[in-house]
Amino acid sequence: MKTRTNGRLALTRRSALFLSAATLLSVGLGLASPRADAATELRVRIGSDIGNLDPARIFGIENQTVAGHLYNGLVKYDQATNEVVPDLASEWSVSPDGKRWTFKLRDGVTWHKGYGPLTADDVKFSLERVLDPNTKSRYAGQLEGITSVEAADPLTVVVNLAAPNAGLLNKLTAFNQGWVVSRKAVTEIGDEKYAMNPVGTGPFVFDSWTAGSQAVIVANKDYFEGAPKVDSVVFRIIKDETAAAIALENAEIDIFFALQSPPVIDRLKKSDAVKVLSRPANHTINLVLNTTVGPLGDVRVRKAIAHGINREALIAGYFKGTKGTAYSVLTSSFPQYTESVPKYEYDPQKAKALLAEAGAEGFMLELVSVGLSPYDQLVVPMASDLEKIGLKTKITVLERGAYLQARGKGEIMTCITGVVGPPDPDSPLVTLYHTKSFPPGLNTSRYDQVDDLLAQASAELDEDKRTGIYRQVLSKTMEDVPVLPLYADQLFLAHTNKVKGLVQNSLFTVHVYSVSFSQ
Amino acid sequence: MRRLLLMGITVIGMVTVVFFLLRAIPGDPATYMLGDYATEEAVAALKADLGLDRPVHEQYLTFVGRALTGDMGNSVVTGQPAFQEVLSSLPWSAALATSGIVIAVLVGVPLGVLSAVRQGTFADLFVMLGALVGISFPVFWVGLVCILLFAHEIRLFPALGASSSEDLLTQLHHLALPALVLGFSVAAYIARLTRSAMLEVLGQDFVRVARAMGISETRIVYWLALRNALIPVLAVIGVTFAWSLGSAILVEAVFSRPGLGSMILKAVFARDYQLVQAGVFVLAFAVVLVNTTLDIVYGLVDPRVSVT
Repeated sequence: MKTRTNGRLALTRRSALFLSAATLLSVGLGLASPRADAATELRVRIGSDIGNLDPARIFGIENQTVAGHLYNGLVKYDQATNEVVPDLASEWSVSPDGKRWTFKLRDGVTWHKGYGPLTADDVKFSLERVLDPNTKSRYAGQLEGITSVEAADPLTVVVNLAAPNAGLLNKLTAFNQGWVVSRKAVTEIGDEKYAMNPVGTGPFVFDSWTAGSQAVIVANKDYFEGAPKVDSVVFRIIKDETAAAIALENAEIDIFFALQSPPVIDRLKKSDAVKVLSRPANHTINLVLNTTVGPLGDVRVRKAIAHGINREALIAGYFKGTKGTAYSVLTSSFPQYTESVPKYEYDPQKAKALLAEAGAEGFMLELVSVGLSPYDQLVVPMASDLEKIGLKTKITVLERGAYLQARGKGEIMTCITGVVGPPDPDSPLVTLYHTKSFPPGLNTSRYDQVDDLLAQASAELDEDKRTGIYRQVLSKTMEDVPVLPLYADQLFLAHTNKVKGLVQNSLFTVHVYSVSFSQ
Repeated sequence: MRRLLLMGITVIGMVTVVFFLLRAIPGDPATYMLGDYATEEAVAALKADLGLDRPVHEQYLTFVGRALTGDMGNSVVTGQPAFQEVLSSLPWSAALATSGIVIAVLVGVPLGVLSAVRQGTFADLFVMLGALVGISFPVFWVGLVCILLFAHEIRLFPALGASSSEDLLTQLHHLALPALVLGFSVAAYIARLTRSAMLEVLGQDFVRVARAMGISETRIVYWLALRNALIPVLAVIGVTFAWSLGSAILVEAVFSRPGLGSMILKAVFARDYQLVQAGVFVLAFAVVLVNTTLDIVYGLVDPRVSVT
């Protein structure tokens, strides 16, 4: 009796195993995968998940990349030239005192998903929503100085300022706070749900999001500049760059966004099946020196650190030449870029002499970094260089949340900060050097010497004169070095040979409206 | 009944510990959401909105009250119900863990038996060497090598270990490589364990008696010894299954698969408390469920174990 029961049990177990084995075998034989007809589906790799597509709260290059296809702004940066060009507004004018800006909207623009026509009231709603403290927008500060927004008629928007602001257009470009939302959609969907149910006027309509896996947008056939040339775009989350590179070479994806790892870049450059694009970014990665802590208040010590770190070796060695030299915090993608600023070549002897002069030999410098590649690795050669000029160094690597908190308190000696953003000179300069940028903000060096110059630049409506003032800011800040630019970031994208018409921007996003497939 | 109670207590205990640990680490969701330029007032206002300004024990009571009605709160980042978001990644994890374990058992148990029966031979050495490799090589490295080999050099499998296709065959084709990689690393443990358990059983008196009675060697090995040796192996399978559900993060990362582990990790970085809590709840529940089921299975396999 007992044996029989056992026998039956064993048999059941065995047959179960058999079944699983059969299933696995059929898989293991590598049945040719019926690849979906990809003729009009564009697959783009993103490095991590999206999570919030509400322009008032959006952050992160993945969210910004997806949102960039859904929304428009009053104006936008031309992807190739970074010039400010019309978007929803077909024309605009400024009053002689520079305080009243009037925008004429395009006629016949409609919202996705049946939310009706775009009106001036939507623009008013969008800007006021960001400014409203109850929205708790992270971009309220970007729009400061706007006293009121009027919808003069359905297609005319007037923005009133407290003081002239030559940089206003940069704040209203199609990016973050500049993206226009629909009053009706936001109100009906509700703030919280809106984050993943966005409604825009852009070339693509938000379709679906699968947490941890992908986001899908589909072509807006009624787009005012014409329907996109692909039917849908799938943003596929592929964390590992090596896996993404192979997926690209196998044509499992079409575009590789946020390509950063030097060995992977090298590998893809050698491949015949793909093309690698590169372009200088709008940001530099900087070592921010806290001028309120110990010897760092002495400009000679800061200059010693600048001479003491071999930044060229970092670029040529660690980055295999995939980054550029940074002369100031403005990169070559800005019209205001200049190389006529004080420079700090690698010179350990000079560094030692400067330290001796300041009487600061052998002090302990703490290098604080976020626990993200490459920053947590960069600090190691930097520390070793600084030890050679006689400093003691301590490396502290913090998990992101803890790092943001420590940096926010402003007490850490140094930190590594890059201001990723649009080609608006105020974006890095005000953020890193203006006293209003701390606390809260990123002026953790507590530098306070260029507030006047930045105010002058803002008030100067003449473009050439304004550029001249920004260049003065660059000279002054590089003379005082509260912030040491380590390298100018370089952006890389790769795509298969089938992809045509992809234009790389300098924003650290990818925009595929212009993309089509060759047959 | 007692088991059910125990299950409940374990799950509640886990979620409680995570609830307090999360709030003890530096950083908070308000700072994460508002970014670098957030004023203290804005952070304070958002914290008040999220109920984070209240004492932790009060927050806990609210959390428990809501959880009892099945509401685990909304994700701070996405505004979607946290429980729903977690459930959406559960099938991915379950598929990977199940197929990985099935492969591991199919490979590990026979190889373990083989090397026990042929102890000291070349076959034994070979299997044990293989197992050593499986245990000591990090799974993400093995994963990358497999992608290079089987998705690039020999194009047998796709490089991406997940597909959004509705087609079951396509999905299995994508799942195969990650399942094999996970299965290989787990098989290594199972093979070693089966071998030592088998050796122990084969050395026992009743086996010698059976041999003396002239029972065939095949029957001794498969009917007598393996059945007894399977008990510790089952225990390990249970633990490994639970482990694979939540900790296959590296496999998920290399093969670009969504999953519970990756989702919880992402949520921890964003200090998305609700999402972490919901994730840990589901994970704890799954682990407890699997282990309880296994306890019952022992009873069936081994008459010496009784389940109350």
